[in-house]
This record gives sequence, structure tokens and C-alpha cells, in this order.
Amino acid sequence: MKILVVDDFSTMRRIVRNLLVELGFSNPLIQEADDGNNALTMLKSQPFDLVVTDWNMPNMTGIDLLRAIRAEPSLKGMPVLMVTAENNRDQIIAAAQAGVNGYIVKPFNAVTLKEKLTKIFERIAAAGASA
Amino acid sequence: MSAVLSTLDSGSMPPELKDLLSSTDGAAFEQALDALVRQREQHLFRALGLLARDLHGAVSRLGHDLAQEGVPGRVADVRKHLNDVLEMSAQAAHRSIDFAERMSPEADALAQNAEQVVAWAKPGDPSAVLANQAVAFAANCREGLNDMVMAQSWQDLSGQRIKKVVNFIESVESSLLELVHLTGALAGREPPPVVEKISGQDEADRLLSEFGF
Repeated sequence: MKILVVDDFSTMRRIVRNLLVELGFSNPLIQEADDGNNALTMLKSQPFDLVVTDWNMPNMTGIDLLRAIRAEPSLKGMPVLMVTAENNRDQIIAAAQAGVNGYIVKPFNAVTLKEKLTKIFERIAAAGASA
Repeated sequence: MSAVLSTLDSGSMPPELKDLLSSTDGAAFEQALDALVRQREQHLFRALGLLARDLHGAVSRLGHDLAQEGVPGRVADVRKHLNDVLEMSAQAAHRSIDFAERMSPEADALAQNAEQVVAWAKPGDPSAVLANQAVAFAANCREGLNDMVMAQSWQDLSGQRIKKVVNFIESVESSLLELVHLTGALAGREPPPVVEKISGQDEADRLLSEFGF
């Protein structure tokens, strides 16, 4: 499974990568982008199966990236997991309304990440089975 | 009106007002009242003028003091210090993650080899006891290393706060500069001397070697 990790802090990108590898995802299939703009360019040029993105980033924020993904016909079904320090009610609602698949508040741990990822893939499988 | 008048001490009342109140001439009453109001307005305008002059003087002095004390430069320094903290904390966090990524496969290899020893050893063999210890130790190490990687998220969380402070300082800095420019205090001021800084011990050694150290 090809995963794009989007965060302006290189330390957080590495932490998420390490956790994903720990959960059994293939390290070479994990790629990184440091803001929404770069992430969108990568998403349009190569296939990905999942996006894990931060909210607060320069140039293009995570919520704008999510909206851009949902607005792009070739990407609109992409699962997006938001991992962010933003814990305002309004922001969580905004992310839900924009069509986020999961929302993790930092600081978080491997158990939470696993739980949210499992839920995302279960829902996708259920939607695929009922379609 | 009579109730108000009765409370006034006629001795402390200005004579003009006393005459005005007792006058039966309506036109004269109006005229005198207008004169009183105008007099009052003039006091107000004079007070406003003084306030405006004081405010202008205070803003000019503030702008001048800010420029003289090098406040804009110091604000830029503070911003740079915070960005340095951001950079140094990122480097420290990366070093910790480097260490964990290097040690994790070693812990896995130790566990694997020790498990083989346990499988081959006869019951009660001292090597089996040691190998079991190694398996437990490797598992603990692995868990500890994962925790260590996770703990580095402090850099992201504290870094985001530092970035917010840097942004705030930037807005204060631009307001200060605007104030200094507005008051014209920068005119004729000499730029502060540039302090060259070295990047680390290597550069310090190179610099010292040029002087024969």
C-alpha cells in the first residue's frame, strides 16, 4: 500500500513513517511531502492509497489539501487521515464536513493510529462490498 | 428650577450668573447663555489641542527611543534565536530517531538469535537461561525504542508554538518599524555594526589556526 505522509515538520514525518512501518506497512512505499501544494502535485502524478496529513502547514494547509483532493475527480475517493495538534471543535467539524476519513489529535500513539487506520479500511471495504 | 436655585449658595455664584437668573429680559438671557456655552467650548478645544500636542511629542520620543536603543534590531535577533531553537531541537530529535532506527534491527536480530539458542538448548542449560534473558531484553529495548521515537513528537508540538510566537513577534516588529518610520526617527541613524558569527568548533579551529594556534 502506497502512503503519502504530509507534514511541515520533518521529525513528525519520520515519526509517522516509523509508526506505519511498525504497523506492518512497507517503508519504501511511504513517501513524504512538506506542505499541501507539494502533496497535491505528488498525488496528481503518481498513485497513492492513503494520505496522512497535518493541518498547520505553510503554502497549503491540510484542510485545503483535503478540499482539493475531494474536488479533483481523479482523487476524490482517496482516504485521508488527519493527524494534527488542532483540537478546536470547529476545526474538527470543518474536517468532517470536508470529507475527512479519520482525525487524530497530537500527541498520539501507535495504538490510536492503528485503530483509526483499521476503521478507515473497514469502512472502505464495507462501502466496496455494498456497492 | 426653584428647587435647584434653593440648593445653590448665592454667595458662591458668579455675579453674571446671578444677574442672568434674575433678569426678566429674555433676549439678554439667551445672549448670556450663548456666551457661557462658547466659553466652555473654548476650554474644551484648548484641552484637546494640548492633548494632541502631548500625544505627538510622546509618539516622537517613543520612535526616537526605539531607534536609539536598537529595538528593531533586537527584535530581529530574538526572532533569529527562536528560529535557531527550532532548528536545534529538530536536529536533536532527528539524532534520537536515527539512534532508534539503528538499534531496532539489532534488537530484532538479538531476539531472533536468542530464540534459536533457546530452541536448541537442553532444558536447564545455562545458555538457555541467558538466551531467554536476551529475548526479554530485546523485546524491552524494542518497546523502549518505539516509545523514544514517539516521544520526539515534543519537537513538532513545541515547534508549532515557537512558530506562532515568531509570527507574533514579526507582526510586533513590523508595527514598531512602522512607528519608527512614521516619526522619522530613523533619519540619519547609523546602521548597527554587523557581528559575524562562526558556525561551530571546526570553524573556530580554522579561524584560530590562521593566527598560529
